[in-house]
Amino acid sequence: MTATSEAAGPAAATPTTPSLATVDLKKSFGGVHAVDGATVTFHHGKVNALIGPNGSGKTTFFNCVTGMIKPDSGSVSYRGADITGKAPHRIARAGIGRSFQLCRIFPRMTVMENMLVAVRSTSLRRQLASARNAEELDRARGLLARVGIEHLEHSLARDISYGQQKLLELAGVLMGDPDTIMLDEPAGGVNPALIDRIATLVRSLNAEGKTFIVVEHNMELVMSLSDHVVVFDRGRPICEGTPTVVQSDPRVLEAYLGI
Amino acid sequence: MPSASDTTSVSTTDPTPVGDRSRRGSMLLKAVGLVALTVAVLSFPAVAANPFILSVGVVIMSYAVLATSWNFVGGFTGYISLGHASYSGLGAYATGLLVIHTSMNPWLAMLLAGLVVAVLAVPIGIASLRVRGASFVIVSIALVLILLLVFQSWGSFTGGSNGLRVPRPFGPEVLRPEQHERFFYLHAALLAVALLVWWLIDRSRFGTGLKAIREDEDKAQALGVPTFTYKLIAFVVSAFFTALGGGMYALWFGFLDPIFQFSILVGSYMVLMSLLGGIRSLFGPFLGAVIVGYAVEYFKNQYGDTQFHLVAMGLLLGLVVLFMPDGIIPAATALVDRFRPQRTSIREVSAADLAEQRRTADPEAARADQQSRTDDGTDVPDASAETSTGAATDNDSPTVTEGARR
Repeated sequence: MTATSEAAGPAAATPTTPSLATVDLKKSFGGVHAVDGATVTFHHGKVNALIGPNGSGKTTFFNCVTGMIKPDSGSVSYRGADITGKAPHRIARAGIGRSFQLCRIFPRMTVMENMLVAVRSTSLRRQLASARNAEELDRARGLLARVGIEHLEHSLARDISYGQQKLLELAGVLMGDPDTIMLDEPAGGVNPALIDRIATLVRSLNAEGKTFIVVEHNMELVMSLSDHVVVFDRGRPICEGTPTVVQSDPRVLEAYLGI
Repeated sequence: MPSASDTTSVSTTDPTPVGDRSRRGSMLLKAVGLVALTVAVLSFPAVAANPFILSVGVVIMSYAVLATSWNFVGGFTGYISLGHASYSGLGAYATGLLVIHTSMNPWLAMLLAGLVVAVLAVPIGIASLRVRGASFVIVSIALVLILLLVFQSWGSFTGGSNGLRVPRPFGPEVLRPEQHERFFYLHAALLAVALLVWWLIDRSRFGTGLKAIREDEDKAQALGVPTFTYKLIAFVVSAFFTALGGGMYALWFGFLDPIFQFSILVGSYMVLMSLLGGIRSLFGPFLGAVIVGYAVEYFKNQYGDTQFHLVAMGLLLGLVVLFMPDGIIPAATALVDRFRPQRTSIREVSAADLAEQRRTADPEAARADQQSRTDDGTDVPDASAETSTGAATDNDSPTVTEGARR
């Protein structure tokens, strides 16, 4: 571990176990090989980062892993269980929560209603019961307070600012109580102060045992936040390791800077 | 932990009491409204001037049942079906044919017809809910046209284009006006049941999932909502109630013709009524049915057999989509809310917005000031933060907020 990963703390001391892993994952759109034989292992209890130039297949990889699109071949496993090609809601309930690249919330529902969408159990009785039970509302308010937007509970989600929507999306994902949280560009389009706030949240959640897999272009954030970095280029990982190792790897410099 | 930010510290000062008071007030208002509505509906037959007006009332209630039933799928999931006449038509014919061929109790026949249509809706839903948007609309229309052809051609069973005469459930001693009155109450009861079920779903977790599908289906699924199953259940419930509405209409009207039962127009009316009243509101389709149902009868009465009522309906739909895309009820609620005390205080919104604006306008300064707050978690009123929130809170003129919110 490097000195830069402040969040490592107790998690770093335990031996690494695989969280999400893919073997030879492939997905092409027409003639474009978006993901081209990616074999990657992310570590349980860590903050994992997935970086790479635009068009290197990071988001397609995310979508394949979370079931949003079906991979052409290869396999995905989560904590030892095969989840290849499973429906997104099954993968979500297996414990993987995700955010989207361009923040996606439910615009014409209130902030609180947004929080109550996440499904943890599909028992019939639970689904037919009122969505607004005290226990669930308390949990939602707690999480909204944690991301700092509890005062917006009654506002329509489309009326709050973009930064607040990003925080809402994260809080909404947390309502599903996932073990692993995949964030697609959490710092994209938000101001520096909010980036700091998101970074602080990721660190504290990681300290509580949540695994993170983060796609991000903000190198400063990636290097300060992550324990393990995987670099993608042309649909497959070209290098992985601690932030310092990755930063000095010539293949990474070439992919990013073209030198 | 950045549990407290500038926005929260300003907001926690007061919004809850205002929120509680206005919520209790609006609950009282709703209860009063519900009682008034019930009284108005139940007293209609007594105040209706003549049997013709009463029969218009029955038609309107029938439309209200159909539109509210349509809204189980249209309002919750946002899947716009233009072909719901399939289910009302199937329900009507199934009821009629059961009564004719098995001489079973007509009300039992109606219920059985509803269940048969619900079962049929499962494979139809599985096939059609795979596609979204315009494709779903086209599939729904295709089904109506297929059923129209089948029911017209299969004359030996359905009566074909000559129509099907359905025996009345009440004996010959019950005269026309009495018939209308009974059917008015029966339709009202069916409407009440449909509204109750809609309301129960609306407040349930299942309903929250359905509304999430309407807003962003993929996102909902990523949060663990089994979207396909949810859509299918809403679809089947919708078909069931639509079929009951069709069946009750068959028993009232006593005559079925495929061209009117399986018509795109009936399906379009369900959509128009719901859109007009507001598809996200419990009583939206009902209100729309009252307006559209009355307008249709009025135009038919004024202009006889011309197609003018269709032109008028087209104009109405155009106006709704242009000026009240959310429907009358949300538009009216928004208007009322504007004259009410704000649920969330004006101050907190403007503070948040101003802070946001400041950040975008002057990122350097804002960053420095924000950092001092986020870094140590609690809200430290250092010099720059004090001036920023102070300026925002003092300057709570409504014009600023109006501008910022709109």
